[in-house]
Amino acid sequence: MKRSTRLSLILFSLLLLVTSTSISAQDAPSSITLTLAAYTTPREAYVEIIPLFQAYWQEQTGQEVTFQESYLGSGAQSRAVAGGFEADIVALSLERDVTRLVEAGLITHDWQNNEYNGMVSTSLVTLLVRPGNPRNIQDWADLAQEGIEVLTPDPATSGGAQWNIIAAYGAAYRGHVEGYEAGEEGAFQFLVDLLNNVSVLDPSARDSVITYSTGIGDVLITYENEYYAGIAAGDEYDIVYPSSTILIENPVAVVDSYADAHGVREAAEAFVQFLYTPEAQAIFASKGYRPPVIQAVEVDGADATEEPEAVSLWPEGALEEELFPIVEDIFTIVDFGGWDEVGATFFSETGIFAQAIAEAQE
Amino acid sequence: MAEAALRAGKETQPNPQVSFGAWGLRAMALTYLLVLIAAPILIIAFEGLRHGWDIFWNSVSQPVAASAIWLSVWTAALMAVINTVMGTLTAYVLVHYRFPGKRLLDTVIDLPFAIPTLVTGVMLVLLYGPQTIIGGFFQQTFGLRILFAPPGIVLALMFISYPFVIRAVQPVLAKLDLNQEEAAHTLGASGWTTFRRIVLPAILSAMITGGMLSFARALGEFGSLAIVAGNIPLRTQVATVYIYGQVEGGNLPAASAVSLVMLLIALVTTLAADWLMRRRTHA
Repeated sequence: MKRSTRLSLILFSLLLLVTSTSISAQDAPSSITLTLAAYTTPREAYVEIIPLFQAYWQEQTGQEVTFQESYLGSGAQSRAVAGGFEADIVALSLERDVTRLVEAGLITHDWQNNEYNGMVSTSLVTLLVRPGNPRNIQDWADLAQEGIEVLTPDPATSGGAQWNIIAAYGAAYRGHVEGYEAGEEGAFQFLVDLLNNVSVLDPSARDSVITYSTGIGDVLITYENEYYAGIAAGDEYDIVYPSSTILIENPVAVVDSYADAHGVREAAEAFVQFLYTPEAQAIFASKGYRPPVIQAVEVDGADATEEPEAVSLWPEGALEEELFPIVEDIFTIVDFGGWDEVGATFFSETGIFAQAIAEAQE
Repeated sequence: MAEAALRAGKETQPNPQVSFGAWGLRAMALTYLLVLIAAPILIIAFEGLRHGWDIFWNSVSQPVAASAIWLSVWTAALMAVINTVMGTLTAYVLVHYRFPGKRLLDTVIDLPFAIPTLVTGVMLVLLYGPQTIIGGFFQQTFGLRILFAPPGIVLALMFISYPFVIRAVQPVLAKLDLNQEEAAHTLGASGWTTFRRIVLPAILSAMITGGMLSFARALGEFGSLAIVAGNIPLRTQVATVYIYGQVEGGNLPAASAVSLVMLLIALVTTLAADWLMRRRTHA
């Protein structure tokens, strides 16, 4: 008994020693630490971008910047930061997860105040099929055919999955799904028929990819960048671009409260700026992310006459056929009223998704 | 772990000597229990009912929630029945027969408690998925889908709560007076009659206790079911996955309401198991 108490005392003091030394190491003015809280899929991109930024920052300021990176599902990450995980920068999969931090009082600046509306990368909701496309899936309408098994993550647990549902509904709503009339009624019916073919609603987008890679399902609804990630990981499937789909926009923002508390605002802002450089965007593109879209809205603080010149971030040659094909009809979440409205009309307990699921079970 | 707890519960005698130290010990144990177990349970009960009876009832009776609760309850109940029968058989074999590898087998039985349940889910997908030999066979021959359907849920629950019945029945069987069995034999009773008249009455309450504990444990299973159940609302979504979805979606009242219902079912089950255990020790 006594021996174990003594042992734990020793261990405890050792632990104290370790933590105190690591704190004092961070105090050195020549080096700072930035904490990045990101969602899981762009990890491969950040792993390559961060060393570039470190070199850039060292050159600019002589300061050494080390990174603490955390990768979690977007919703979980956002809640973690809101709950006290002191990240200086957040890179999340949807706007609403940043809005949560604004509402929590952690982000106090107008984070969407740049030419790209605060978005750092974009992607499209696409369809993955088995190699050679054995079920001959060409567009959304094929997903509602009898006997086709579809996988998509659960919009209740995965914010990202909500993109998929809106993409399918929106394509039909805009009259791009054969056999369904444009408008609310046709779109709802398409959603019902589609959900009727969904056999597994995995908790997250990545889980869905994993289930698909074990051989379950004919079609996986997922993002363009997930296709590239899967290919890079050695999975085999083909990508099908539907004729109409939604543009996924991924936000990035400095978390004011924490960045100020850590005294790293300058570096944090520089890092966010750095993500918009051609070098960083080329890395995003190599991982399958499309660049953010230039916004027509004028930027605060600048005269309409001297509007800052927005730079197209498309890496050279990326728009040519192979990498990022052009899709006929691309819409955004704003076309459906933005995330707040979509959350209420689609994903509440009695929303369109819940109604469609209930009808699909009949 | 459960085995140790079960044994300890039966064998320790309260010390009649009351001293200051014993009071301190008691206070410590009770505080620990209060902080660790009672407080979280109370807060769930409070959260679940805080918004009023109407919201509670609406959250729970809503079709998706109600079907999730029902699916959890019936799959767990079916599993408990299967595991009670098979677990008793296994315990009987382990106590009464000698065979090579018995020691190893006896250790392996506890593994389901140690394996992360997410891993359990992955193992089951690799073994019974529609694209595997076993899963494909069932699908083609009987048109029966194992995974992403209720059979997969029952299978996962059987795995994760496998040790309960065995570890409840095994010590009782081991202590059972062999003379009675032998006497029954010499008097001409068949093996089955001996089991039914002599062994079964002695181990019945241990069987039921084990079964109920496994039922309560299965109600709360999440990790493996998130992978193998399929999670389609109204069809293959269990209560825990539904609760997770509500938490993720920021709908805490609904999550707490359904949690409270699950908690009450588990509470009633454990109380019943406890009562049976007491009856057994007094008998």
